[in-house]
Amino acid sequence: MTTPLLALEHVTKTFPVRRAGVLRRPVDHVHAVVDVSLEVQPGETLGLVGETGCGKSTLARCITRLHDVDSGRVVLDGEDITHHSRARMRGVRRDVQMVFQDPYGSLNPRRRVGSIIGDPFVIHDVGTPAERKRSVQELMERVGLNPEHYNRFPAEFSGGQRQRIGVARALALRPRLLVCDEPVSALDVSIQAQVLNLLLDLQDEFGLTCVFISHDLSVVRHVSDRIAVMYLGRVVEVAPAAELFTRPRHPYTRALLSALPVADPDVSDSRRRIVLAGDLPTPIDPPSGCAFHTRCPRAREDCAATVPPLDPAPGDRRDHRTACLHPLADGDDLGADHPVVADSEITATDEEVPA
Amino acid sequence: MALLEVRDLHVEFDTPDGVVHAVRGLSLDVERGATLAVVGESGSGKSVATQTITGLTRGARVRGSAVFDGTELLGAPEETLRRVRGAQIGMIFQDPLSSLHPYYPVGWQVVEMIRAHDRSVSKAAARERAVELLALVGIPRARQRVDDYPHQFSGGMRQRVMIAMAVALDPALLIADEPTTALDVTVQAQVLEVMQQLQERFGTAIVIITHDLGVVADLADDVVVMYGGRAMEVAPRRELFYGPHHPYTEGLLRSLPSRGEPGARLTPVPGAPPSLIDPPAGCPFRPRCPHAFADCHDQPPLRPVPGAPGHLSACFLPTTRTAGGAPPAAAVHELQEAP
Repeated sequence: MTTPLLALEHVTKTFPVRRAGVLRRPVDHVHAVVDVSLEVQPGETLGLVGETGCGKSTLARCITRLHDVDSGRVVLDGEDITHHSRARMRGVRRDVQMVFQDPYGSLNPRRRVGSIIGDPFVIHDVGTPAERKRSVQELMERVGLNPEHYNRFPAEFSGGQRQRIGVARALALRPRLLVCDEPVSALDVSIQAQVLNLLLDLQDEFGLTCVFISHDLSVVRHVSDRIAVMYLGRVVEVAPAAELFTRPRHPYTRALLSALPVADPDVSDSRRRIVLAGDLPTPIDPPSGCAFHTRCPRAREDCAATVPPLDPAPGDRRDHRTACLHPLADGDDLGADHPVVADSEITATDEEVPA
Repeated sequence: MALLEVRDLHVEFDTPDGVVHAVRGLSLDVERGATLAVVGESGSGKSVATQTITGLTRGARVRGSAVFDGTELLGAPEETLRRVRGAQIGMIFQDPLSSLHPYYPVGWQVVEMIRAHDRSVSKAAARERAVELLALVGIPRARQRVDDYPHQFSGGMRQRVMIAMAVALDPALLIADEPTTALDVTVQAQVLEVMQQLQERFGTAIVIITHDLGVVADLADDVVVMYGGRAMEVAPRRELFYGPHHPYTEGLLRSLPSRGEPGARLTPVPGAPPSLIDPPAGCPFRPRCPHAFADCHDQPPLRPVPGAPGHLSACFLPTTRTAGGAPPAAAVHELQEAP
């Protein structure tokens, strides 16, 4: 087996919750990412899905070291970068780049597009000003922007074009790993398809390895080789993309798939939506054992006591791992008529939960 | 007669950059008890159209007609609109947090909603009704939660509170403007289920505005596809998905990742939506349309697709259809070569 380009080993990240007051001592912690171990092979795209607050964006920021992890290791191509200083990270950052969700918030409105895309060259001291300009214009052309618009401001571009600017900037230094955090979520369907195609083309062309984060399962399925499903900070299931969709083992994955609206009336008429009871529990005080047991139709007593390990379910290959004590077998039904609302109720708090 | 009949609606806004033609001649019918989905991308005019019908676009220049249950709403006095809005037409918006007042308990806001339309209801009775409504939309322990503030609820629960307010006075029509866009899929499923249950129980007609074709396939009876301020295609749900006529609808369906082979290139609609400040003459989709020809410089009327009742399309392409539903390529070429 080849060395994975990216390996996460037991990565955990919490954020302090502070009360108002002079000392602002942390009184609690948001458990954003808990004990996540994942590997990404060179040239592969790993999709990360999950609902709001499941920790997928925090994990992305741990990979790119925009957050420091509390414990665990982030290993890039065999090199442990978990505790690299800022100076040492600078070299690593040439290899790891990120595309952000919001094409409005991630571009400085007062700077010209050419200088935004050219920033990586300046920061890493690549080329002469003339060479940089030429590279930037080549990049703009490559991502489908008019190179003559070099001197325009971000406000003069549409949402889809801005996302292309973000992609061009991320690709400037020919990174090996591209972390895309909801790159098409803010775009309309017809534009979304354009940007997805661009990402697929670029991946082929540059042999990029990608971590692709989205809450939209159909988008993730389209671009990913493997998919990891997260719930309350933990990976609950990871499998090759097609297998995850056809043979989900974790009840949460099954429910997530069934809740996904499909633009095909035959499918939506024939399938049964599994409506999960209640809301997502707060990550400040996640449920004991399997965090999903409070909403799981298959939960039994032991689910509240034991944190299930992420292992292959009986009969599954090594690349399909499920963190469930009672995984679904082929053809298993996930309970029919359970209430829309749970009896016990969970209130969302509005503490300092990072977005 | 339909519950809501909109005819040739035009909405224009004066802005520093020029006149924005947000809606340009929209007509649609909403039948009693049925669900009409209005689909479109950002800037297609779908929200402005419904907001105008309920009198929420102050300062806009409005032409056309919108008759709700026998009452003309466009240009109606504010008093009439107030009576209709809330009581006969309930509304749900995308962002439940900014639609609820942060300083008042949710129960108080539902009570206010009830008493604003009927002062004869006592506060105690209205509060009782508020508890009932919150329970109806699936808020657990409604009696305890009625005095909680909006920030104490999650996004999905807040949207349920909005639905409770919208249906408090048993409206004949519920307008839901992207009601689940801000919600996660599992929560979206819950909210859509609540809306469907209420419709079955009370026979409420629903207009759902969305950009999500998956939600349309789940929920709608009929669909209006909007683009550049106009209705491009109107069709019953199955007809729209399996036999679309308008090239824009086809393009929209084809660009969905769920329709393609995983990993294969998608078929996006090239280009970008038109500016509504100086919209192109003729068909707004012409600059992006693979089938466009000379005639498209005139706006095609919304005309019936033969053999498909209730299916209308604003496109000059021949309406004889192949089995697959795509317009026959040969016929397109004939048209292009015609003088």
